[in-house]
Amino acid sequence: MNARSDTTADDLPEQPRVLLVDDDEVNLLLTSIALRERGFAITEATSGELALAALAGGLPDVVVLDALMPGLDGFETCRELRVLPGCESLPVLMLTGLDDDASITRAYEAGATDFFVKSTQWSLLAGRLRYLLRAARVRAELERSKSRLARAQDLARMGSFDWKRGVGGPVFSVEGLRVFGLSPSDTLAFRPLLRMLPPDDRSGLIAVLHEVIRHSTVLATDVPATLRDGRQRIVHVEAEPEFNELGVLVGYSGIVQDVTDRRLAEDKIRHLANFDTLTGLPNRRQLIWRAERALEHGRRLNHQVALLLIDLDRFKIINDTLGHGAGDELLMEVARRLRSCVRHSDQVMESTIESMGSRSHRTLEAVGRLGGDEFVALLPEVVDERDAERVAQRILELMREPIFVGGQECFVTASVGIALFPRDGTSVADLMRNSDVAMYSAKGAGRNAASTYRPALAGQGREKLELESALHKAIERDELVLFYQPKIDVRGAKMVGAEALMRWRRNGVLVPPGDFIPLAEETGLIVPLSEWAIREAARQARIWQDNFGFADSIAVNLPSRLFERTDLVEYIHNAVTTYGVPHHAIELEITETGLMKDLQNVIPSLHRLNEIGVEISIDDFGTGYSSLAYLTALPISELKIDRSFIRDLGMTPQSSAVVTAIIALARSLGLRVVAEGVENLRQMEVLHRLGCGVMQGFLFSKPQPPEDIETWLQQTILPRKAPWIGKADEADMAEVLRFPDVRDPRAKPIG
Amino acid sequence: MMTNEPLSAHAAAHGLAGLDADALARLKELDPKGENKLLERVLRAFQTSAARLAPQLETARLGNDRATVRLVAHTLKSSSASIGALELSQVCAQVEGLIRAESADNLDPLLDRLRHALDAALNAIQRLLDGRP
Repeated sequence: MNARSDTTADDLPEQPRVLLVDDDEVNLLLTSIALRERGFAITEATSGELALAALAGGLPDVVVLDALMPGLDGFETCRELRVLPGCESLPVLMLTGLDDDASITRAYEAGATDFFVKSTQWSLLAGRLRYLLRAARVRAELERSKSRLARAQDLARMGSFDWKRGVGGPVFSVEGLRVFGLSPSDTLAFRPLLRMLPPDDRSGLIAVLHEVIRHSTVLATDVPATLRDGRQRIVHVEAEPEFNELGVLVGYSGIVQDVTDRRLAEDKIRHLANFDTLTGLPNRRQLIWRAERALEHGRRLNHQVALLLIDLDRFKIINDTLGHGAGDELLMEVARRLRSCVRHSDQVMESTIESMGSRSHRTLEAVGRLGGDEFVALLPEVVDERDAERVAQRILELMREPIFVGGQECFVTASVGIALFPRDGTSVADLMRNSDVAMYSAKGAGRNAASTYRPALAGQGREKLELESALHKAIERDELVLFYQPKIDVRGAKMVGAEALMRWRRNGVLVPPGDFIPLAEETGLIVPLSEWAIREAARQARIWQDNFGFADSIAVNLPSRLFERTDLVEYIHNAVTTYGVPHHAIELEITETGLMKDLQNVIPSLHRLNEIGVEISIDDFGTGYSSLAYLTALPISELKIDRSFIRDLGMTPQSSAVVTAIIALARSLGLRVVAEGVENLRQMEVLHRLGCGVMQGFLFSKPQPPEDIETWLQQTILPRKAPWIGKADEADMAEVLRFPDVRDPRAKPIG
Repeated sequence: MMTNEPLSAHAAAHGLAGLDADALARLKELDPKGENKLLERVLRAFQTSAARLAPQLETARLGNDRATVRLVAHTLKSSSASIGALELSQVCAQVEGLIRAESADNLDPLLDRLRHALDAALNAIQRLLDGRP
């Protein structure tokens, strides 16, 4: 505010200006001399008319007016003076005679500020004038302060009211009426006031008022009001009780304030603080708050709480290829779908959930967005983990539907990690971490799946990080090696190819492939690893070619995502050219599951590879769900029967049925068939009998370093020293005996 | 006339020229050194005022205009008190009081006294101004 306006009352002007009015020259002269002597600046006027004229020319600080004068007397002059602009509150001292009571009364009636009995004691007059000036100054201050208050109240949309007990309704100030959209001439009784409230809120307010009055407590409440012009406002009412000298409540006085804007702003702020702006879902902060409340309830009511961490599987690719706009669109659609998977409640609650009853924790249920493509579903009460798994399945199910973004159909899958309170953690932080661990295990197991936390998963987190960073350096440090497992034509007892299997020699210890291949796939390291394997296999083919005339293929396992790379063909071409071996020296194995999952993206590659002579083998055949129709059209050369069927061979009739079917299928499609995991002679004999002549397994050779393969060839195959050699011939004989029609089974070699 | 002697000192020295010494002393206090010739100015102001008021009083008396009589008496009452013409002030007060009380009394004797007192006061003033005792 303006500091200048805050002059104190004592701070009188140096020379107060006095307009002295007296028709008596003697008195005028004397008074004027006396007052001048006491520091006043005097303007003299010898009549009322002259005084009014002087006032029109400029205002003094005080007027001293003789009451009795010819012409316009003091009273009349005072009356006329009061209507002059700026003179409404100009202090006027009326001079009267000592014995003139009537004049004193008349003086006040005429609007004089005070009276003074004429005397020659000038100090008294001067003192009275100073008092008047101070009073006038204080009054002016009050007026200013009052108008400032009124203005402040107006700006704050605030007004005051009083209520006297037993007298009637509240009495509002002009500003108070304005809060309710009323003009200064209106009144607002209690009933019409109540009618401004929505019907449902009326009885509530009455109850509050009764309660407040009964206990003589402070009233503070917000009421929604519909004003006459239809505007909806929220009015804050705050009042304090007033008591008489006996301590009895006599009424209330307080303020009303239009807090609509503030309330809207508060709501907005609360929403921004608690909800994700993109999806409108509860944000991390709100979710954690809800989760904490849910745990409190779970603890008290002894039930389980589930936290589901949901992570989209290929979001980054979509964001990178279609742009962030499309990414945002996709997230919004995902958010919409996720909401429908739970009894989502948008309610923001910061406190007093207690007041909502014992089942109130149900309203905590929600899906929220932690950030990026990470979402959380909070289930405040579950009976067991199956409850949570059902929700997780529903989520996976809903994600399967394609999503249209950026004018394109996208397929998005999610991996879900589940953690339960109290089993998997008793704090929100623990549950978050463990659901994260579970979610990663779902991703590790091939994505698009849900996984429930198991303590065994926990330790893997840190290990995995170390493993990952070590794996990054494995290639440059030459820690990776390829082991080879021969493919054996059992009848001819010769090696007809080999499968390259990756090993990691880490700190002198061999890491099993199962411990790093899934991690490599998860982190994308599988791409450089596979590329290295192709080159290494080509190099080895050359070495073997030189050493013992190797002219078959080395099969390299490739994940389906490698087949999506348009430069795969070129890469293989470069690799074989570098080492001077033919294209068919490299064969590629893709798992049946991998192939079927990305069929559309993989097919073009298969054709191009086929064109340059690189053969394709389907690994783990029989475990996936191949579309037979596709199989006939695919440019593939070989099926490898999954080891699980071989293991059970001769033990369950089903397995031999499957193997028989696969062999028949391969034969009718003109494909080679290879049996993997052959460990004993019985399996070999059965396979051979069923018509599969090419095998792989420990019975023949475990995967070995390339130089060991050479040794094995020289020491086992060439001298025909292995126990299995010759057995196939015996089996042939048995076959001949059983099926006399078949004269020469060798006439129909397979592959 | 002792022209180089200040009027106030002269009046104080000569005292009663028909004017109250205390009143004159109070006036003197307003201008202790006589720099502003206050006493002289006040006395002359009274003369001017009286010269204006006296005819008004006569006219009003003849026309039985009691309001004007009262106003003149009121004015003279306080100004005469200021210069120490106590007799005049007293009479004026009586006149004013009677008229305000709407007394039915004949004012003539009182107004005669007023006239006398005024003349006496003017005489005294003139003497004082002239420096005569």
